[in-house]
Amino acid sequence: MKFSLDIKGSLTPFVAVARVFEEPKTICYPFEKKEIAKGYRGFHTNLLDKCIGCANCQDVCMNDAIDMIPIKEDRNPKNNSGCIPRIDYGRCCWCSLCTDVCPPSSLQLEEDCIWASDDSNNFLYMPKDK
Amino acid sequence: MENRLVKIYHGPQHPGITGNMSLELDLLGETIKGARTHVGYLHRGFEKLVERRTIIQAFTIVCRICVPEPDPNEENFARAIETLAGIEISDKAKYIRTMVLEMGRVASLLLWIGGQSGSIGLGTVGQWSLFDRDLILDLFEELTGGRVYHMYIYPGGVRRELPDGFLDKLSELLDYLEDRLPLYDKVFFDNASFKKRAIGVGVVNRDEALKNGYVGQVLRGCGIKRDTRRDNPYLVYEDLDFEIPTFDGCDVYARAMVRRGEIRESLKILRQIVAKMPKDGKIMQKIPKHRKFKIPKNDTFVSTESARGEYSYYMAGDGTEKIRRMQVKGASLIHGFTLLEKLLIDEELSNVAMIMNSLGICPPEIER
Repeated sequence: MKFSLDIKGSLTPFVAVARVFEEPKTICYPFEKKEIAKGYRGFHTNLLDKCIGCANCQDVCMNDAIDMIPIKEDRNPKNNSGCIPRIDYGRCCWCSLCTDVCPPSSLQLEEDCIWASDDSNNFLYMPKDK
Repeated sequence: MENRLVKIYHGPQHPGITGNMSLELDLLGETIKGARTHVGYLHRGFEKLVERRTIIQAFTIVCRICVPEPDPNEENFARAIETLAGIEISDKAKYIRTMVLEMGRVASLLLWIGGQSGSIGLGTVGQWSLFDRDLILDLFEELTGGRVYHMYIYPGGVRRELPDGFLDKLSELLDYLEDRLPLYDKVFFDNASFKKRAIGVGVVNRDEALKNGYVGQVLRGCGIKRDTRRDNPYLVYEDLDFEIPTFDGCDVYARAMVRRGEIRESLKILRQIVAKMPKDGKIMQKIPKHRKFKIPKNDTFVSTESARGEYSYYMAGDGTEKIRRMQVKGASLIHGFTLLEKLLIDEELSNVAMIMNSLGICPPEIER
C-alpha cells in the first residue's frame, strides 16, 4: 500500500480544539427551558362556551383518537348533543385536522406540550377550557 | 474455506445501521465474503393505510414514511392529488413549498454528516451538525407547528401563512450556515482520516449505475449529472439558478463531496427564494371538505428530488374520496439491497457502517 502524508488534512481538524472554550449549546433542562414557538402543535384546548358538540373532530380524526363524551354542565345552549371531545393521547398524532374542521373554532392546539404520568388513564385527555 | 466463515448479524439494533435494518454477514476474519440485507422491522403498512383514509386524512400520515426527510413525501402526495384533481396552486404556495423542501434537504444533509462522521469515529463534527440541524428545526417549528413531521404541504397549497419576520430569520440562519461550511471542510471533508478511510472504498461500477436504477448521490458521485429538479422540473426550480454538483471517483469520498456541494447549492437556492418570495397570493386553493373531496378515475406518477435521490409516487384514483392505490418508490430500495450487497463483498467489517451511510440508505422509506 502506497504511503502518502497529508499534512494539511492531519493538522486542520485541530481547529476543533478552539471550540472547547465556547459556551455549550445544550440546555440544562429542567433548570433552563427552550422557548416553544408560537403556533406549535401542542395540547388541545376547547372553549366550552363555543363548542357545539358536532363531532366533526371525531369524524375527521384518522387515528380514532377522539371520543365524544357527555358534558356534565350545560355551557353552550347550542350544544345539542350534550357531548364534548376527549382526546386519546396514545393515538393522537397532533396533525390538527380536528382544529381545521371545527366550525366555531372552539378546538385549538396550544404550545403546551409537557405531560408525564405513571397512570395511562391520564392520557385520555380532556382539553382544557381556556 | 466454508468452515472458517463466521456469520454475524449487523443490526437491526446497531449504531452503524442507518435505521432498523439487518445485514447478515459471512466473515472470513474481518473480510466480508457474503452479505444479505434483511428488512421488515419498519414496515408500517402506509400504502394500505392510505387506501382506507380520505385524502385529507391520508395527507397527515405520508410524512411519516421517511424519518430523516419527510417533506418530499408531502410534496409528492400533494402534487399527485393536484394532478389528478386538476388543481393549480399559486406562485406563492410554490415558492413556500420549494423553500420547505430545500430547508428539509439541508437538515437531512446535516443529519447525514452526523451519521457519516460517526460511522468512522469522528464524533465531534456530528454534534455540531445536529445542533445546526436543530436551528433549521426551530424554523420549521415556527412555520409549521412541528419540528420533524410538518404536515404542511397540503393538496391545494400550504397550510399556514409565513409568520412575521420569518424570511429575515431564515436569512440570518443562511448567513450562519454559510459561515459554518469552511469549518466542516477543515474538520470533516478535508480530514486526512476521512480521506484515508473513504477514498477507494465502496466503489460503484459507473457503467452499471444507470442500468441498475441508482439515483441521487450514487449517480452524481460517478460523475453522472442527474437531478429531478433539472431533468423534470417541478414547483419553481426552473426559475432558480443552481448547479448540480458531481464528483468523479464513484467511492464514499466522491459521494461525500457531492453532498458537500449540495449543501452549498441548497443554501444558494434558499437565498434566491427569500429574495423572490411573492408578497401577495393565496397560500391555499379552495378544496372540497374531506368527505366530499373525490379524485377522478385516473392515475399519475410524480417525482421529487429528495436528499437521497429521486423519490416518486404512483397514485391512482377511482372516483371516490379514497385513493385506490398509492405506490412509493423511494431512493433507498435499490441502494439498500442490490448495491449494498454488492459493495460489501471483500470489504472490511469496519467499513460497513461507512458504506451504508454513504449510500444514504433509509430503511423507513424502503419498507413504508
